[in-house]
Amino acid sequence: MGAIRFDDVGRFYGNKTGGFQALKGVNLEIAEKEFMAVVGPSGCGKTTLLRFVAGFDRPSSGTVSVNGVRVTKPGPERAVVFQQFALMPWKTVRQNIDLGLRNIGVARAEREDRITAVLQLMNLTGHADAYPHQLSGGMQQRVSIARAWVLDPEVLLMDEPFGALDAQTRVVMQEELVRLARRNPRTVMFITHAVEEAVYLADRVAIMARQPGRIKEIIDIRSIRETERWDAHEKIEDVMDLESFVHLRTRIWRSLREEKAMELA
Amino acid sequence: MSRKTMVGGATILAALTLWYLLTTVLGVISPGRFPSPADTWTALAQVSGKGYANGVLGEHILRSVMLVSLGFIVAVATGVPLGLWMGWSRRAEAVINPVFLVIRPIPPLAWIPLAILWLGLGDLAKILVIWFAAFVPSVINSYAGVRNLDRTLIEAARMLGTPFTTFVREILLPGASPMIFTGLRLSLQASWTTLVAAELVGAMTGLGRVLNAAQQDLYPGMILVGMIAVTICGWLMTVALGVAEKRALAWNTAAQAGG
Ligand SMILES: Nc1ncnc2c1ncn2[C@@H]1O[C@H](COP(=O)(O)OP(=O)(O)OP(=O)(O)O)[C@@H](O)[C@H]1O
Ligand SMILES: [Mg+2]
Repeated sequence: MGAIRFDDVGRFYGNKTGGFQALKGVNLEIAEKEFMAVVGPSGCGKTTLLRFVAGFDRPSSGTVSVNGVRVTKPGPERAVVFQQFALMPWKTVRQNIDLGLRNIGVARAEREDRITAVLQLMNLTGHADAYPHQLSGGMQQRVSIARAWVLDPEVLLMDEPFGALDAQTRVVMQEELVRLARRNPRTVMFITHAVEEAVYLADRVAIMARQPGRIKEIIDIRSIRETERWDAHEKIEDVMDLESFVHLRTRIWRSLREEKAMELA
Repeated sequence: MSRKTMVGGATILAALTLWYLLTTVLGVISPGRFPSPADTWTALAQVSGKGYANGVLGEHILRSVMLVSLGFIVAVATGVPLGLWMGWSRRAEAVINPVFLVIRPIPPLAWIPLAILWLGLGDLAKILVIWFAAFVPSVINSYAGVRNLDRTLIEAARMLGTPFTTFVREILLPGASPMIFTGLRLSLQASWTTLVAAELVGAMTGLGRVLNAAQQDLYPGMILVGMIAVTICGWLMTVALGVAEKRALAWNTAAQAGG
């Protein structure tokens, strides 16, 4: 049984007289502790799919379930990391991270321990009492990840989490996320535009197509990553130089480009 | 002392000198139309000492400040929650907004006759009129504050499993607070305007009563004293509100300054 399951999911925007089929017949299973990246052209419905899992929106047909339970509303067991961080500007880093823990009823002493631990994990020690605006974009996104991570969620949903960051910060965040995810695997649904990012981070990459939005192809990265020992390299640029990496990246690029060509034809 | 305060001080000094010159030395303005500094000082001494219009200055000020504060507090205590509720609930907005659209264009001062008819010339009528006047800005700005709240913050709060009361206290209120404070400032101004007008119509004591009596007595010095007293009181309360705002919105002003 997959942790996240899309069963024949469709989404229609509009009314009886006319509208737009944003998603159609999406079937996707993300296994427990699997890191699934989703790539696809703009407007293919990536965000829409993620928002179904988060419980912010509902499909107009089909079902979305997590651990066999149909999703009906948002909840801390399905933590979201937003592209624009979405930290409360009036709360300090500690208060932002604390909110979810309080909501799920964790006792004060344990909350403090868990916050200390997650701050250390995310390299934020020393910034606990800063307000978000006092931090750089990369640090704010680390806080946002910490806020999700600290809840020990069943699934972690990330919608272009590094999209708002500059190139260097982005690389650092990608490396940190890989370390985090390999050391303690989670079920992750990670949306991105960047193919390299998907190949570098994910266990599998789902490629989507447009009009209507659907899953076109799923590429498994794991066996190649293991046989080619990607994780032996500490730096992202070293991994990205490997022939096996370039090969996979090109394959995904082709798949996406075919999509574009078909649209133009 | 900063350059700005020095320039400000110099301007005030120049204005006072000009006032003195025009009224006293050159006699361009007749004392029957605008009082000289000496007349004003005499009036101030009179109202502070033996009193004027049923009381000394302190009593008038105390009465007016008390009524403004009461009316303001009642207006804010009802207006802010209503505005927040309208901002949050589409249904509440649908029900309340039409009523609001009808009542809103009525100038607050136009309520004065009706309020006096209902409640007489006493304090209650004045509080009622202040309430009508100060209520509207509180409602509208709180409402806008909620409406302008970043949607992803609301989603983040829902994702974190935030219960409703926590949500109101820790997300909705702080998120709307910059606009709420804008509303409070406007409400406070409206409270003063309305009170003085209401006291002009009928009051035993209060700064509006001083103004009214001075006008009937053809006493320009006292009129000016009343005007200055109203200005200073209103200004001090605005400053106090500003201090509260600065404290409550420390995160926000810092965020704006820091970019
Ligand atoms: N509320 C809505 N009403 C109408 N159409 C919508 C709505 N929300 C999304 N859509 C449409 O559904 C499609 C999928 O949107 P979605 O945001 O999921 O795309 P995306 O793959 O995340 O795109 P991007 O890569 O640009 O973020 C788009 O064509 C969008 O215009
Ligand atoms: Mg998107």
